[in-house]
Amino acid sequence: MRGNAPSRIELLQGTLDLLILRTLLAGPAHGHAIATHIQRTSEDLLQVETGSLYPALHRLEAKGWIAPFWELSEKGKRARFYRLTPLGRKQLAAERSKWDAFSRAMALVLNPIDQEGL
Amino acid sequence: MKSIFRKLYWLTRRADKEAELHEELQFHLEEEAQQRQEGGLAKDEARWAAHRELGNPALVEENTRAAWGWTRVEQLARDAAYGMRQVRRNPAFSAIAIATLALGIGGITAIFSAFDAILIRPLPYADADRLVMVWDDMSKSEGDSTFFSTPAEWTEWRRLNTVFTDLACSQPGDAILSGDGEPEEVRARKVTWNLWSVIGVQPALGRVFTEDEDDKGARVVVISHGLWQRRFGGASDIVGRKIPVNDEAYEVVGVMPRGFYFMPSRDIDMWMPASFPPGLRRNITWHVAQIVARLKPGVTLEQARQSMAALSFQVTARDFRGPHSVTVIPLREEMAGKTQTALIVLLWSAAALLLIACVNLANLLLSRGAVRGREVAVRAALGAGRGRLIAQFLTESLVLAGLGAVAGLALAVPAMRLLEQLVPEAMGAARLTLDWRVLAFATVIAVAAALAFGLAPAWRESRLAPQDGLRDGGRGTAGARSHWFQHSLIVIETALAVALLTCGGLLLQAFQHLWNTDLGIRSERLLTFETPLLRYKDFDRRVAFVNAELEKVRAIPGVTNAGAISRIPLTVTDGSRFYLLAQQPRDSASKQIALTRVVSRGYFTTVGARLREGRFFEPSDQKSESPAVVVNESFANRNYPGRSPLGERLKFERLNEKGYWYTIVGVVKEIRERGVAEESRPAIYRVHEQADQTNDLPSGIVVRTAVEPGSIISAVRQAIWSVDKNQPLARIRTMGDIVDRQLSTPTQSTALLGAFAVMALLLASIGIYGVLSYAVTQRTNEIGVRMALGATSRDILLSFGRRGLMLTLAGLAMGLALAAIAARSMTSLLYGFRPDYLPTVTVASLILLTVAALASLLPARRASRMDPVIALRSE
Repeated sequence: MRGNAPSRIELLQGTLDLLILRTLLAGPAHGHAIATHIQRTSEDLLQVETGSLYPALHRLEAKGWIAPFWELSEKGKRARFYRLTPLGRKQLAAERSKWDAFSRAMALVLNPIDQEGL
Repeated sequence: MKSIFRKLYWLTRRADKEAELHEELQFHLEEEAQQRQEGGLAKDEARWAAHRELGNPALVEENTRAAWGWTRVEQLARDAAYGMRQVRRNPAFSAIAIATLALGIGGITAIFSAFDAILIRPLPYADADRLVMVWDDMSKSEGDSTFFSTPAEWTEWRRLNTVFTDLACSQPGDAILSGDGEPEEVRARKVTWNLWSVIGVQPALGRVFTEDEDDKGARVVVISHGLWQRRFGGASDIVGRKIPVNDEAYEVVGVMPRGFYFMPSRDIDMWMPASFPPGLRRNITWHVAQIVARLKPGVTLEQARQSMAALSFQVTARDFRGPHSVTVIPLREEMAGKTQTALIVLLWSAAALLLIACVNLANLLLSRGAVRGREVAVRAALGAGRGRLIAQFLTESLVLAGLGAVAGLALAVPAMRLLEQLVPEAMGAARLTLDWRVLAFATVIAVAAALAFGLAPAWRESRLAPQDGLRDGGRGTAGARSHWFQHSLIVIETALAVALLTCGGLLLQAFQHLWNTDLGIRSERLLTFETPLLRYKDFDRRVAFVNAELEKVRAIPGVTNAGAISRIPLTVTDGSRFYLLAQQPRDSASKQIALTRVVSRGYFTTVGARLREGRFFEPSDQKSESPAVVVNESFANRNYPGRSPLGERLKFERLNEKGYWYTIVGVVKEIRERGVAEESRPAIYRVHEQADQTNDLPSGIVVRTAVEPGSIISAVRQAIWSVDKNQPLARIRTMGDIVDRQLSTPTQSTALLGAFAVMALLLASIGIYGVLSYAVTQRTNEIGVRMALGATSRDILLSFGRRGLMLTLAGLAMGLALAAIAARSMTSLLYGFRPDYLPTVTVASLILLTVAALASLLPARRASRMDPVIALRSE
């Protein structure tokens, strides 16, 4: 493991799926690119474990939310790319609104009066 | 649904996917390493870091594969493969297990195929469950409770009954088909026009005849698919063709579908209009009709029975013989007859055998479980959960059961050939096949067996705590509880074996009794056949023809004698009449029925009948106003107990002045006219020269030969055709065949039950032996301690021997109780024979005790001869 810097956040159960789907909304990507993208976009706060990434990708594939295809990477190597399927798009919308509701609820509970204090 | 297809698609390219996954992870590692190198690490260091980040690649791959959703199936496949390996690794154990299961599964599958064909599969009629047969109940008049009805009753029942939508009526009507080719007698039925609408079957070609045609006696016939193919080559213009039947032109109006059959035999080829003469329609004593009826919707069998009984009393109120009731029997029951009981008993026996096999295997597996304790412990220590262990054990059992089932099916097929003889003549489809129903049954049985013998061992072995199993000796894994469990298994299988042995013994006794039945004739080298005499309507011409054909047959070299009789002995249950003795009031006839037969003069000597007193028929018995009869012993004993009936006189139905008074001239020893297993009835024989007052025709011919009867058949044909070239011969068979055929159901069921009983005994003794010798192995250490403490080898022998004996006795007691229950349900299979229970039970018990004593003595002796020092060290 690449160290456990205190600034990094453990992924919540079930959120990895949402992150993968959201990442692929921007366009097809291979596993490593997905992990890198999540890490960079979250300003290195979110660390995707390889050990859970690939099982998650294959699980989403089995559910028909993402579809794999083989293509050459930007460096000219054969890589397994994933793209979002229409079914996955629907799933993303559903997960996303669930997540929005959840995070709003969390925020309301954690910051009952004002947010300046934080 | 879609995901199933996707998974199936994946399954087909499993290897590809493995490679792809590997490549995908490899690519990830390279990307990661490169990224880190760009971040400033050295090349090697970067690769190391990437690997560290990934962790154990095999684990990642494993977890990813789990996402494919095939883990369970894969595990199953792995367990099955492991099971197969176990099978190969323990050939002796596996051979015993598979052979045991093959016997159990094969036996029950074969019996089931017959059970299914005869008792389950729907009969080929519309709503066949609603069809019943209606018979006259003449049991109050010494007749059968399923006596033929009369067309007169049929007419009244149709008019007055409230429980049937309709009733149809049929009677035998043998027909001679001439024209192109040899004259041929075909089995025909005279049926009322509504038979087909009652049973709900349409002809495949053409139509059936109409009520109008039936009333007018039109010359029309419906023929079977078989006759159409055989005799007319499947000609497409068969409908409308005129064919010569009994020397008259009949128009074929319809052809029944292939495989159609209806009571009383699957061999009927022709259906003609019943066309009852108006006079007979009013005759309440003309018992010729077989009646089938369809229950109205919502009417139960019981309601029909009560309603019809009441109606019958009303209809026969004015019968001079007194009113009688009726018997209503579901069509299926009628067709299956005695076979039903035989099949049920056999199915139970097969189930008992299978259960014994399972119990034995459970015991074997339990004993083996101790050996495998370590393996289980290792697996448990490596993280296999209890469910996983049970699943693995059960899969192994399934593998064994599957192999057993395959071997069992291989055994079942030849057994099914034998069982085909159990299919009653009234039913079609005599061929038993391994169709999907039978295969499905075998599969269910195999799975059930696997659960039955695998569940207990799986449960027990998986409970083992790892530390116990890993400890070296693996000692003390089985406590008192396991003994208790294994012991009850032994008691159960012993009990089942005893029950089977006892039932088998009872059947064997009854069967022996059947074989030793005095038929009243000598059946060896006796050829029988029929020469239908429908074309000889004139009495004198008929007598002349019969005498001429017998004369010609007797002249054939190798023929000792020949005779004629109206119904070949042992084959026909009917043909009986009411009679009246001299000095009896007229209404006594209503209580007296006797079988009647018309014979030729040489008949009795030809079949080898024995005379009790008086004489057989002689040349002097010619047409006369005071003809002679020969009666059988039953008749003599019933009517003239303790004295000779010679010279007494009797009379038949035609009780008016025109009826002859017959004089008894001889008493013949009982001949089993109705069948080997049928109880004897009073019988009266007339000689055909004097039989001008009966419509019984002496069409059955019996030929006693000095040579093998089959060898003279063509000579017999030529002899008869030399008298009349248009005379057909039908149903040519030897008396030996007739007897064999009649004994085939009891032969089959006795042989099968006997085989089951022997196998059960064998399995039970193996079981006792197995458990005791396992106990000895397990308690070697204890034996050592006991001997070291002063126990003699005799003590040890007694201690183990006593245990075997106790188990056997417990099983014996349970088994005898079980047998008592089972024996009651097979009474009808014993053919009226009342067996001696005591000898059977004694012999069965002795056999079991002997076998069990041997089975327990061997391990007990081994225990008693142990060297205490070695025994103590046996860690």
